[in-house]
Amino acid sequence: MTTPASPSPAAPLEVTDEDSAASAKPGNPKGSESRSPGRLAWIRFKRDRTGVISALVVIFFFVIGIAAPLIAKAYGKDPYTTYGQNDPSLLNDFGFPVKPNGGMSGDFWFGIDPQLGRDVFTFLLYAIRNSLLIATATALLVTGLGIAIGLTAGYLGGKTDYLVGRIIDVLLAFPQTLFFISFWPVVLNILVAPNEATPTWLTVVSLISIMTAFGWASIARLLRGEVLALREREFVEAAKVTGASPARIIFKELLPNLWTPILIQATLALPMYVTTEAGLAFLGVGLSDPTPDWGVMMQYGAQYYQSDITYMLFPGLTMVIFVIAFNLLGDSVRDALDPKARR
Amino acid sequence: MSLSRRNFVIATSVAAGGSMVLSACSSGGGGGNSTSNGAGTHTYTGHVTVGTAQDSQGPAPEIQGAVKGGNINGLSPSDFSHLDPQRIYFAWNSALALLYVRCLTGYKIAPDGSQKLVGDLATDTGTMSNGGKTWTFTLKDGLKWEDGSDLTVEDVRHGIERGFASFTTEGAQYLQTALTGSADFRSVYKGPYDGKHLEGVVIDSAKKTITFNLKTAQPQLNFILAMHSYGAVPVKHDTKEKYDKDPVSCGPYKLAAHAPDKSLKMARNPHWDPKTDPIRNAYPDSFSFEFGVESLPESDRLIADSGNDQYTIMAYNGVPAERIQKVLTTPALKQRTINGLLTGLYYYAINCKRITDPKVRQALNYAWPLEQIRRIYGGPSAGDYATSVLSPDILGYAHQDVFGKLKKPQGDTAKAKALLKEAGKLGQTIVYTYPQGRESAYEKTKIVIANALKEAGFNPVIKPVDSTSYYDQVQQINNQFDVMWFGWSPDWPSGYSVIQPLFDGATIANGSNNVSQLNVPWINQAIKQNALITDPAKAGDAWAALDEKIMTQEAPIIPETFQRRFYLHGSKVGGALFDPNFSAFVLYKLYVKA
Repeated sequence: MTTPASPSPAAPLEVTDEDSAASAKPGNPKGSESRSPGRLAWIRFKRDRTGVISALVVIFFFVIGIAAPLIAKAYGKDPYTTYGQNDPSLLNDFGFPVKPNGGMSGDFWFGIDPQLGRDVFTFLLYAIRNSLLIATATALLVTGLGIAIGLTAGYLGGKTDYLVGRIIDVLLAFPQTLFFISFWPVVLNILVAPNEATPTWLTVVSLISIMTAFGWASIARLLRGEVLALREREFVEAAKVTGASPARIIFKELLPNLWTPILIQATLALPMYVTTEAGLAFLGVGLSDPTPDWGVMMQYGAQYYQSDITYMLFPGLTMVIFVIAFNLLGDSVRDALDPKARR
Repeated sequence: MSLSRRNFVIATSVAAGGSMVLSACSSGGGGGNSTSNGAGTHTYTGHVTVGTAQDSQGPAPEIQGAVKGGNINGLSPSDFSHLDPQRIYFAWNSALALLYVRCLTGYKIAPDGSQKLVGDLATDTGTMSNGGKTWTFTLKDGLKWEDGSDLTVEDVRHGIERGFASFTTEGAQYLQTALTGSADFRSVYKGPYDGKHLEGVVIDSAKKTITFNLKTAQPQLNFILAMHSYGAVPVKHDTKEKYDKDPVSCGPYKLAAHAPDKSLKMARNPHWDPKTDPIRNAYPDSFSFEFGVESLPESDRLIADSGNDQYTIMAYNGVPAERIQKVLTTPALKQRTINGLLTGLYYYAINCKRITDPKVRQALNYAWPLEQIRRIYGGPSAGDYATSVLSPDILGYAHQDVFGKLKKPQGDTAKAKALLKEAGKLGQTIVYTYPQGRESAYEKTKIVIANALKEAGFNPVIKPVDSTSYYDQVQQINNQFDVMWFGWSPDWPSGYSVIQPLFDGATIANGSNNVSQLNVPWINQAIKQNALITDPAKAGDAWAALDEKIMTQEAPIIPETFQRRFYLHGSKVGGALFDPNFSAFVLYKLYVKA
């Protein structure tokens, strides 16, 4: 958001970004009729049982996230109604669920939340949905931007590289969390009229853009380093001699060699953004009640754990499972793509 | 007392998340309602009777079983903001000031919590004449400062005159206004530092008397003088602005050490003579305070009750909503609590400048979900529903329930909708604001409030304001909020100290406590008239009647709760007593158990 240099290099590269995705695919089966590197990797991945299980878990999370409204409809509850407040038999005088285990019952599978008495199951479903939406969008944007800027800087070198390098330095040194906490209210004050509520889409868009603005730097720096090593290689020299344009060299010659680090970075970035987003919500910036969110649930869980441990359990466990599964998946992808790095 | 800048006890802290020790004793569910757990006291102890000269004689009655010695430790999230008596208005500062500041009068608290106004520095609660325009007090013998020098009438007058100085703007202003007859009293008198004394205060050093000649009658001056803003300050040791760092004590304890925002220590003042003091016992040798402890870790420390925490009290926050069930349902913990009802009212101010139609304001009152809000605060343990402006502590309080809130505490949205339709304001936008950042409870109450308003046909817009600038923003005349969370504690238990600051149209200004910006001629007039009634019982009735009339006709606020607070103390702390004036432990009555 506040990186003045990023729009200008990003604009032309965004276009070529699509090219690269298209060109990368034909790049893979080009190798041979029998077994392309991609196919080899797929076979290696299928043999890795941890990887397959993690992949299934991750897919499961995405499916329930996408299907959350359908599931909620079939289940007959929504995450916004304060069931416990409307029905006095559900919450006691102190605002805690009357039934044991956080008020779990046939009606409320995961119980109800203390004080407000909302349905934890649907709340969690929508929380997963919102968190994954934000984290996926951010991870995709960060990777795209990182690839474009990192490759360009590495290949062009000279002044461009110097300038991009300094921007990256600043971004990496920036105290992001503090920045979010202090600037969040200011930004919202500017964008939202005083007699209007902050629209949720605005919160989501600004969250994604802020996390993207600070997130691309590390991927860009990594890829720049790789490109520096690659650009002196003979096949690049050869391409230059045949008169290939810089764009062609970057996206046709260099990029295919970089898919391994990019994929690994992207799979590690996504769970990181899930936790970052939850952490921000925990600190009171980002999504806030009544919008369901993993971080908001964790924040409440931390307040009530002494009297209602169950409420902490569900968001906590699901998040741990998701993040671990996604990280293991990232490991397996790396092992499959780059067998030399295997332990 | 004063403005309830004192936040709710339902404080929560993010820091608590760091100590997620999943203790085995945690239960999964809350269990049913059991009324036997007890919601705490039902007696309001904030009302005060005026004591005699006999009552004003020291020493304070001994507490059975109390022994001298030891140190009591207090925990609090924040430091005392001011130590200079003339700059003290805030309840939290006053709780400490009781240990080292003495005023002409003071509140004597009996073991059952009932209170009497007695002479503290003065021999009695003063003599009124001339219809409340002249008041005379006589000083006791044997009063001394912490260096052993005598406390004289000059020192008492100096304390009053310092209230006019340019650096003491934080203090109370009732006396200054009454003495000069002007709200802009600093233009009349600029404080004692250019050698001039205030006309209206006459002293007689030989007879040890001090006489106040007021421009406007103030039949309750003896209550006003109990505020620490009018405490005595030694003429010789007055260091002006620096006095805030190092005040001179005439009470049982003196400041021994102070590391701002970290800790503070009070040690015994050897020159304090208990025979002059009808109010204070002083058993511990010292008091220490630890700042920066948020309410959840604070309660967890007191629940654990280990080591030095056995000598510790919750000095500022009460037990937060998240722990209240655990504390009240565990007998061993409940034994270590005190609780009491605050004198103040928590309410929602309706901006009458923006919501001009009284029907809409009445509809808001009908729709407000008191029951849901209180359940979030912790149910009956968090307080009683408020249905009037005056609290039961106020002299003359008469129960009234204009909007039938006790019958339907969950809110009558149907009735509200009908009223709204009648006023032709269906779909009226209501911008609701609350302080964000310190109290998690408001993040929950906003949801039930928004739900109720939607049901009643309003269009709720939730606009939280950061808690550090909350008061500054809602006290702006041109703010853009319709309903604002607010609270008010009376400075002394009389209708005047509630209704005048909150509803007198003449006070409307930036920073004024008339947050509703209510400016109705007949109310302004009635306030002026009621203030002059000298008979306390008649005055009380008049204020109660005015209260009901304001709520019926204008409905400028939505009363929420008279709050009850629970405080934990360590197992070695004795003499625990709740102070309704400053909602804290009465420090000078505590002792260390042998």
